This record gives sequence, structure tokens and C-alpha cells, in this order.
Amino acid sequence: MSNKVACSHCHLEFDSSIMIKDESNYFCCSGCQGVFHLLCDEGLDSFYKKSNNVVLSPISKTFEDSSNFDTPSFYEKFVETNSDGFSKVSLIIEGIHCSACVWLNEKALHKMDGVIEADINFTNNKATIVWSDDVVKLSKIINMIRSIGYNAFAYDSLAQETHANKERKSYYLKMAVAIFASMNIMWIAVAQYAGYFSGITQDVKTVLNIAEGILATPVLFYSGLVFFRGAYYALKTKIVNMDLLVATGAALTYFYSIYITLMQSGEAYFDSVSMIITFVLIGKFLEVLSKKNAADTLDMITKNIPSEVKIVKDGNIATCKLNDVRQGDIVVVSSGEKVLLDGEIVKGSGSFDEANLTGESEPIYKNVGMSVISGTTSIDADIHFIATKDFKHSTLSNIVTLLESAINKKPKIQQMANKLSEYFSSIILFLSIFTFALWWFQTNSFDISFMIAVSVIIIACPCALALATPVATLVGLSLGASRGILFKEAAGLETMAKVDTLILDKTGTITIGKPEVIKEHIYDEFDKKLLYSLLKLSNHPVAKGVSKYLEKENENIVAEILDEFTQISAQGIKAKVREINLLGGNIKLLNENSIETTFLSENTIFYFAIDNKLAAIYELTDKIKDGVSELVEDMKKMSIDVVMLTGDNSRMANKVASSVGIKDFIYEQTPQSKADYITHLHEKNKIVVMVGDGINDILALARSDIGIVMGSGSDIAVKVGDVVLLDDSMKSLKDAFKISRTTFGLIKQNLVISIVYNAITIPLAMAGYIIPLIAAISMSLSSLLVVGNSMRIRNKWNKD
Amino acid sequence: MDTWVIAMMLGASVFLGAIALFAFLWAIKSGQFDDEEKFLNAAKYDGEDELNDAIKQEQKKEVLKKRYKPE
Repeated sequence: MSNKVACSHCHLEFDSSIMIKDESNYFCCSGCQGVFHLLCDEGLDSFYKKSNNVVLSPISKTFEDSSNFDTPSFYEKFVETNSDGFSKVSLIIEGIHCSACVWLNEKALHKMDGVIEADINFTNNKATIVWSDDVVKLSKIINMIRSIGYNAFAYDSLAQETHANKERKSYYLKMAVAIFASMNIMWIAVAQYAGYFSGITQDVKTVLNIAEGILATPVLFYSGLVFFRGAYYALKTKIVNMDLLVATGAALTYFYSIYITLMQSGEAYFDSVSMIITFVLIGKFLEVLSKKNAADTLDMITKNIPSEVKIVKDGNIATCKLNDVRQGDIVVVSSGEKVLLDGEIVKGSGSFDEANLTGESEPIYKNVGMSVISGTTSIDADIHFIATKDFKHSTLSNIVTLLESAINKKPKIQQMANKLSEYFSSIILFLSIFTFALWWFQTNSFDISFMIAVSVIIIACPCALALATPVATLVGLSLGASRGILFKEAAGLETMAKVDTLILDKTGTITIGKPEVIKEHIYDEFDKKLLYSLLKLSNHPVAKGVSKYLEKENENIVAEILDEFTQISAQGIKAKVREINLLGGNIKLLNENSIETTFLSENTIFYFAIDNKLAAIYELTDKIKDGVSELVEDMKKMSIDVVMLTGDNSRMANKVASSVGIKDFIYEQTPQSKADYITHLHEKNKIVVMVGDGINDILALARSDIGIVMGSGSDIAVKVGDVVLLDDSMKSLKDAFKISRTTFGLIKQNLVISIVYNAITIPLAMAGYIIPLIAAISMSLSSLLVVGNSMRIRNKWNKD
Repeated sequence: MDTWVIAMMLGASVFLGAIALFAFLWAIKSGQFDDEEKFLNAAKYDGEDELNDAIKQEQKKEVLKKRYKPE
């Protein structure tokens, strides 16, 4: 019977016997106790009422030194001075899970002397703090945030993401003005159209024209500025693009309409002006919306790398900045820490997790004299190693540099679209000038010729063309998103539709990446709690796999505290409890302890012995995900080649590949060789999609035409990938292909529609059969047609 | 209907609409919509306590500004 009680701060429940008792409160650790008292002293304890007993995370005390925040280089990079002379910084606050947390942080910061503003955005956890640097230093502010149980780190507001946000905002403003004006012009235009057919006095017409003119002016000169700028720069480089077409068409129509209004005779076309600008602007806005946040990958990786390492100096252990470590220095790495430099072990031994780099799911045991690679993690090894390279030349640093260059090597379908619009625009401009000249020559009337030429430009409006791609891709993107497939960029959809080779990573992509128990053999009845307690003390993937199996069997299993626990490298774990000896591990452990067994299997085996007698054997395997074989079948039907690349050995690779039906596979690949293989495919003019999840895949992911990442993959892979599969399933991968092919097909349809429409209407306009009025209406109709056609993606994609 | 009536109606409605538009534009520029949570659940963040807090912060700002002025 357990007596569980909740911690007064974080509300996690534990057995009352292990809690710290303080008057009438219980705490799970001194961290929670410290924060609780701090809040009470500062009068902030209404936090607990606001947070409504939500479970928080207990305080961990391993922070980096906060004096980092006061250095001039930090200030230069992250702190700005606002117009009042105060300092301003953007920070990300870690640990916020509810509005009470936001309230607590803001309140605590406001209470500090010298802090003028502390505004925390709940949606992205970004805090903007304005303070007077004379009164309080940034490090004190950071310490305050940490003391109440949260952490803060700097946010570079010059990063690409903020820039994209600013661009989006400015487009949003322009669109708001354009749409407002267009909507108002539309209802005024109703009166004009009605008047055109049933009769309207010139006075009223003039009033209406003036009103429309006033509304159309901000649209042309504020929202339409984008097009003028684009046209100007294009002309400077002697290119004719859509911007020029839109800019000329709109400007000509506008000035013509002003002339008409002043002359008080004829029709004015302010509504066309504003509608052209609005529609094409919407098209541009949709494109800007789906722009990929250029991965600030370097920031991502450097955030994961601690800035200091421990080295041995004059016989003592001292901390040293990562970039200051020289070749030949002796570096100290303890269990659980990351190895940051390439080197050779001089003291100690243990197992290392190299899955990040090689994809090898089994830990590698290393001894004195063997090399360690930067980027790997020590599982249980406490070692000293001599650095054979400094950080700049170590593997991890090289991967980062290779990554930067790989990111910029993507093929662009945009270039084709740009070429198309260039030809289109120049042809239209030429045709309208030609039309004007022809009619003037024929009728000698400036008015008529001008009107017809303007009709040609209006009807040739690239609205449909401008909308054809963005709307279809946006529908495709949102369709994918609703099924857990995140395309980061619109162009990704188009590229994916043309893919002819699929490359799969093994660990984490085809297999789940965590060894799981598939068979349990019990030789002697025993209390499972003993095994569970033993396993919980180890971080080894095999131990984790078996303990998960036990948890599945018995949800309420609880670990006991054991005496005399030892980890034996590359063999297993040993412990003693109540005079019982427990052993768990591989065959080497059994041999060392003279336990005999004849059990054989091709899977990974975990043996468990009590008092030197074999009690149970567990067989584990890294399970293959559901749906992989079906996916391989489907790919064959879609005529896409499938290749498996892995860093694992040939035995494992063969086993996995044959069980899912993949004929082509390459094993023992390094991150670089995977990327090189993709280059090799590119030379054969193949369009490659790569699916992966770990750091060992990012080079290849960046090099491929489309990089697909499992949502559960490493943060860096997710950042680099072009498509993220949120549910990690193979079915989503198949859906992604289907959606992209359907979308691309519909884009082509849309383009055909707009070209056919233009092909029919331009000759009609040139012949004088279309007045600008009809031109404006039909132009809107064509845009609507294209949008409507794009909606069909939702129904069509699953039908084939 | 007289022309001036139409002109006046048009003028008045466009003017009112423009006020709404400017308010909307101001809101976007000053970031009112940036934090979804705070915007939609403003009731959680706008109690009497918070308003008093905001006033105290404004006063702090004035005091500190004055300190800078003499320089």
C-alpha cells in the first residue's frame, strides 16, 4: 500500500517516505522547495491558484554560467538599444506550459528594479525584455528566471525566420488595403454597370467615378508598389516579367480612367485597376506564405554543442572553451556526455552511442588506444582522451560545413515558371502596342485605339497565371498537412511529383530504431520486480527494450532500490539486493560468471540470472515498421526505384532488406558516402527523394532533391528536411507521393486553362470585340475558374 | 435622388470604412494579433492586478527616463 503525496510545487506524486517535509508542505526535491519559498517570499504564491494544480517539471540545476550574458560579444549580437536609450533583448523561455507560467515570469520580472517591460508571447515562448542597463545587468535577469524554475536563452532576431515574418506582415498590410478598396469599389461598380445598361446621368456617373478613383489610388500606389519595384529592377537587368505587365496594365488603366473622369464622357475602369492588383497580390502573398524558413541550421547545431569542455591541465581538471582546445590536449568525458572532438583514448574504457553518425543501433565498446569521434555520446564510459584534431577540424565541425554547402544545391522549378512569364509578358506588351498602332492607323481616333489596347492588356492579365500555381500548391499543402505530411515549401510538391528514385535509411526509417522484445523464455519463476529494478539502472538500448516489455506486462511495476550496482562494459549489469545476486547482460557476462547455456538465436539476446542460475532469456529485435513492404510494392507500381542505405553491417542490412522486398541496398555507409551516392544518381539525371531521421542522414537529405524526415527524428534532420512526416508512418509517405502527383497534374491543368483562355480572348480583344468592362469581368472569372479547379485536388487525389 | 445626396452617402460610408481599415492596420502593425493565446484568451491576462502592474511599470519607465535626461 503506497502512500502517495503530491509535491507542493510541481504536483508530481511520489511515495511520502521519500519526500522532503517542510511544515505542512511536501517537496520532491530541494529545487522545488527553493522555488516554493522564493515565490511565497516575493508574494507570488497566487501562482499556485492560477496554475490549478497542473503538473510542472521539477527543477534541474545544471545551467551554464549566466555571466556569459554580460559579455560585450553577447550584447553586440543580441541586445539592441531602443529610442529611449534602454536595452532590449529577445529571449526564449523554456518550461512554459500554461498561462500561469507566463503570468509568473512576467510578474517576477516586473518586480525587478530596472526592468521596464517584460512581454512574453505564449504561442512561441518568446520574451521581449526592455531594461535599463545601468540599474540591472542581463545576467541578473536570467538568474531570476532560472531561480523560479525556468530557463532562458538568447534568440537572434536577425535570423531568417523573423525576416520572413516581417515580409509576411508587410504583404498582409498591403493586401488588407487592396481588399478593402476592391470590396468597396465592387459595390460602387454595381451601380455603374446597372447604369450602363439602364441609363445613368453623367453627374451621377462622375460622382461614382470620383469615389472609385479615390479608393483605387492607395491600391495602385501603396499595394501596387511591389509591382512597380519589381518591374523597375527587372527592366534594369533587361528582363520583362509579370510585374511589368501588371504595372503597365494597371497604371495605364488608372490614368486613362482619370482622363475619362475629367472629360466626363465614356467609361472609367478603376475597378479593373484595383482588381488586377488585388488578385495578383493575393497570388504573391500565397507564395510568400509558403516560403520555407531557410533553415538556420548552424544556429541549431551550435545550440546543441556545449561551449566548454573539461581538460586535464597540470594534473587538475579545468574547464576550457571548445574552440581553445588544441591538438594534443587531454580531454575528459564522463558517462552521458557528448564527445566533441576527434581523439584517441588514453585512460578508461566504455561503450559509446554512435547511432548519430553511423546508424549502428548497438553501442560500441572502446578501450585505451581506440579512437573516439566527435558527435558521439558516451553511454557509460568515463575516459580521458588525447585530442587528435581541434574542434574546427573534427568530424562534427566538418559535417556542419558540408551541410552549409549542400543546402544551396537544390534544383529550382521556379526558373521555368519565370521564363514562361517573361515570354508571356513581352508577347502581350508587344501585341497591345501593335493593336494600338493598328487601330490608330485605321480609325485615327486616340480614344478608341487606346481603349482597345488597354482591353488587350487587361484581358491578358496574368491573374490566372499568377494564381494557377500558388492556389493549387496551397490546397495541396494544406491537404498534406491535415494528414500529418508537412511540406515546408510549395516547390517541394512539384519536385516530389517528378521523383523517380526513393532512398530509404534503415535505422529509424524502415525499422523503429529501438530494440524490442519479441520472445521471452522463463526458466525459473522469479519476481519480475527484481529484473525491472536491475534494468532501470542502465541506459543501454537493450535494457530499455526489456524494461519496456516488463512495463507493458505489468503497468504498476515499480523499481526497488538495489545495493551494489555495477556496470560491466560490453557485458551487462550486476547488482545485489537482500543478499540475492542479480546478473543481466549478454553471453560474455554469462561466460565470465561461469553460467552455461546452449541457447542460440540470430536476434539480440539478453540473459537474466539470479544467484548465478539462469532465470530468463529475452530475444530482442529492432522491429520493422508497419507498411514498409506495401510501400515498396506501391513504389514499384509507380515506377519509382527503391534503394536502402545504411551504416550498419552487411548481415543486418541483408536481413532487413530481404524482409521488406528491397533488392538494392548498400551497407556500411558514412554520412558523406550517402551524400556522394546521391550525387552519383544526379549525374545519371535521376530525381532523388531521401527518407531519413538522424544526424547521420542530414548530408544526404540536404543533397537530395527532396529530403523527407520522420517527425520523431533528430531536431537537425527535421530542420533540414523538405517534408516532415509527423506520424512516422509509411502510409503517409505513400500519401505524400499521391498528393504531390495529383497537385502537379492540376497545376498543369490550371496553366492550360489560363493559356487557352488567353488564346481565345486576346484575338477577340485585338479585333475590338471586347470593351474593358467585359475584359475586367472575364479576367475575374478566369481567376475564379483556376481557384475552383484547384479545389478539386481534395476529391481527386485518393481516387487513383 | 440628387447627386449631392449620393456623393454624401458615398463619402460618409467610405470614410467610416476607412476608420475601420486604419484601426485594423494599426492593430497588425503594433502586433495585437501576434500572440494567438493572449489575443483569444485576453480575459486571463487582463485582471485588475495586471492593470495595476502595467501602471507601475509605466511609472518605472518615466523615472528611469528622467535619470537619462540629465546626461
